[in-house]
Amino acid sequence: MRLFLALIRITSMVGATALSLEGLVAVDAEVVRLRRGDLNALSELITRYQNRLYRYLLRIVRQPAEAEDLFQQTWLRVVEKIRSFDANRNFDAWLFTLARNLAIDHLRRIRPESLGEPLANNWHSETVADRIPCKDHTPLDHVLAGERRTEISEAMAGLPMMYREVLTLRFEDEMKIEEIAQVTALPVSTVKSRLRRSLEQLRYALEARYPGGTWQ
Amino acid sequence: MSEHDKIRELLALAAADALTRAEEKQVAEHVRSCIACSNELGAWRPIASELRRLPTPQPSSWLVQATLARAEAKLTEQAEHDWNRRVMIVFVAFAWLFTIADWPVFHFVSGHFGSLLEPQFSYTWISFAAFTALGWLAGGVAAVMLAMRQRGEKRLA
Repeated sequence: MRLFLALIRITSMVGATALSLEGLVAVDAEVVRLRRGDLNALSELITRYQNRLYRYLLRIVRQPAEAEDLFQQTWLRVVEKIRSFDANRNFDAWLFTLARNLAIDHLRRIRPESLGEPLANNWHSETVADRIPCKDHTPLDHVLAGERRTEISEAMAGLPMMYREVLTLRFEDEMKIEEIAQVTALPVSTVKSRLRRSLEQLRYALEARYPGGTWQ
Repeated sequence: MSEHDKIRELLALAAADALTRAEEKQVAEHVRSCIACSNELGAWRPIASELRRLPTPQPSSWLVQATLARAEAKLTEQAEHDWNRRVMIVFVAFAWLFTIADWPVFHFVSGHFGSLLEPQFSYTWISFAAFTALGWLAGGVAAVMLAMRQRGEKRLA
């Protein structure tokens, strides 16, 4: 039985790796075609990245109209800069870096206060868990999953931009820490500490909204 | 900072699968013997799990179509720009060649090839070529300055 389970696991891992490699090769081929000015390659790239890119921009700027405008600008920038793209680099990271730079420029013009570092709160000196009573069991089963996601989504929207960004890149885009470091142009250690703080702030925000752990 | 405090700081990252192998091992070993940290890790996991399952907002099909149309227009514009640049390079190269070669060719065709060696002719030809080169250089500098200014204005816009 154990051998059978191990075999299934290995097969699924090999399958996932093959799929991911296939995706990477396809992206590379599309990028090469786009560099030659192939319109179909552009269409394929937009289709491939539309959801991830739009979600990332929406998490950063929070306003759908602004995210839509930035989405268009990002692809125009891709067309403009594709020839200077180094084929040895990761296209995902390059694309998200372009989007990020545009979004930050936009926020700097429209809402510069939203880019500011959050003030050091007292709760930073202690871990959030120190103030949340430990429970032997989580009451997750008592609340509907959809409601929980709405709660998390709302709490996340209330976080500073740099925390929202790192959360969406890690959990929604499933980027590795090294990839996030590439996109944000930060050292890996900074990305890790930013990710930890963003999770702590999220938990703190959830706890503040729903005292006593009722959000769970 | 005690070992317990160090591990406690890693628990959120453990739930986010953002630890190195060594850190993962360290956390796993500690959590096995520390109930408080085990509970704490248990509290982080639902948050990480819910974050992974947040609904993905979809861009409208209108947005995708509009983006594609604008990007295609940009690609076409770039292709035209490249073509114009190539044509311009060919014209400039031809103009240079023509400027430098026309007098000797003219003399050669008109049967006065020997006059090429005359000091008076060489002096006239070199002066003419130098004046032409100066004219082109001034034009080139003006074009570069204009392009830089246009680029600066584009950036500001």
